[in-house]
Amino acid sequence: MMRSLYMLYGAVVMAVLGVAQFQGWSLARVNEVKNVPRSIRDNPGAYRSIYSSYHHYTGGK
Amino acid sequence: MKALNCPGCGAALTVRSFGNAVTIVCESCHSILDAKDPNLQILQRFKVATDEVRPLIPLGTRGKMRGTDYEVIGFQRRTIEVDGLPYSWHEYVLFNPYKGFRYLTEYNGHWNDVSILKALPEVHPYGFAPTVRYLGESYRHFQTSKAATSFVLGEFPWQVRVGEAAVVSDYVSPPRVLSSEQAGNEVTWSMGEYITGKDIWKSFRLSGNPPDAVGVYENQPSPLSSETKNIWVAFAGFLLLLVVMMIGFDMIARDEQVFTGAYRYDSNQRGEASFVTDEFDLRGHTSSVEVKTTTDLNNRWIYLNYALINEDTGKAFDFGREVSYYHGYDSDGSWTEGGQNDSVAVPSVPAGRYYLRVEPEGDPGYGVTYYTITVKRDVPQYSFYGLALLALLIPAALLTWRSLSFEHLRWAESDHPPIKWGNDE
Repeated sequence: MMRSLYMLYGAVVMAVLGVAQFQGWSLARVNEVKNVPRSIRDNPGAYRSIYSSYHHYTGGK
Repeated sequence: MKALNCPGCGAALTVRSFGNAVTIVCESCHSILDAKDPNLQILQRFKVATDEVRPLIPLGTRGKMRGTDYEVIGFQRRTIEVDGLPYSWHEYVLFNPYKGFRYLTEYNGHWNDVSILKALPEVHPYGFAPTVRYLGESYRHFQTSKAATSFVLGEFPWQVRVGEAAVVSDYVSPPRVLSSEQAGNEVTWSMGEYITGKDIWKSFRLSGNPPDAVGVYENQPSPLSSETKNIWVAFAGFLLLLVVMMIGFDMIARDEQVFTGAYRYDSNQRGEASFVTDEFDLRGHTSSVEVKTTTDLNNRWIYLNYALINEDTGKAFDFGREVSYYHGYDSDGSWTEGGQNDSVAVPSVPAGRYYLRVEPEGDPGYGVTYYTITVKRDVPQYSFYGLALLALLIPAALLTWRSLSFEHLRWAESDHPPIKWGNDE
């Protein structure tokens, strides 16, 4: 019983892994933005990245 | 069945074992009678005023054990003392005129089907826990104690007495237990096999439910031991599949460089720093895109706001990457922090024509930073293999832990308890 459940669970894990690899899933933090205007190519400064206000690191040890 | 009268109280006695019994105990006055004597000589009388025990399987009940009909003809309670505390279990004598005697024992809802051995086991008395071997199977010593008979009822194939004591040693190999009973110079070996109360109730067609089993018994089979083994076998199979998948996806991944460009960022220069790259094609099925940044940073940082924009649909994948590299020397020696390069995998990017919008940021006064951006299509992501391994490992580890806890509970009651960590006081 436990083995069957584990086999089922393992099969699901492997299937998810297969989909993740095939579809190229990633753990990176990425934001999807729709309908970016074509004018960005001519005026890159017109686009505001949501990460532009990110707190930047300011120095080593 | 033969009807007689007790010479002690005159009550009717029922003899069920066709002259095979050695002693009979009167159910009315609890006189122990010599069954071999035509006059049923009284051998012993004992008082049961306060501790009379009612057998869970009444005397005279018939049932099938291992395909053979048996009748319950005798019952006794035996008691041992451990650390000053008395522990009692019950034994039932079963009789079949063709097969002879066998026994059932019950302790806290745990039952054993017991038969006398016809051959002697091989005893290995040395080591941390002595062992015995019987029919190729090894049994580990569990407990040795002095057991005294404290209550008897019915017929017995030996000279039973209340108060008689024997040294009992149990050796276990679940679901079996080998027991030696030594009284004087006589040693009797028996083998018990664990059986559930439910099966006993079914075999003897008893009404109601058996008492619940309390705790873990010495030869109670662990419900998890075989499952644990099976699950680790399955885990090994999945691990192999995981490796095969890793090799397979590595082989079919495009891992194709679609863009590279070298850039310069001057943090002292005012004005718009953002720019867009040339266009590039992402081909194949929806898959990852790796954006790699290589810099010449030296005790500095640079932050890059990236947007991977699909020229046709206007859909963008917006992300930011900080690259920083610091190094130095202090009282602990030399140190480094961060690195000059960074890479990120943008997930599930459909095929299409794309470009990057890049906006670098840095502290004013840092001056010029040279960096290269490289874009690759369909790069294998190994972090998911680690997560999958963890997901497969957790249930197997939990089950193993539960199985070990079961064994811990079993051996905690033995003469060889597991080592206790920490102080209980």
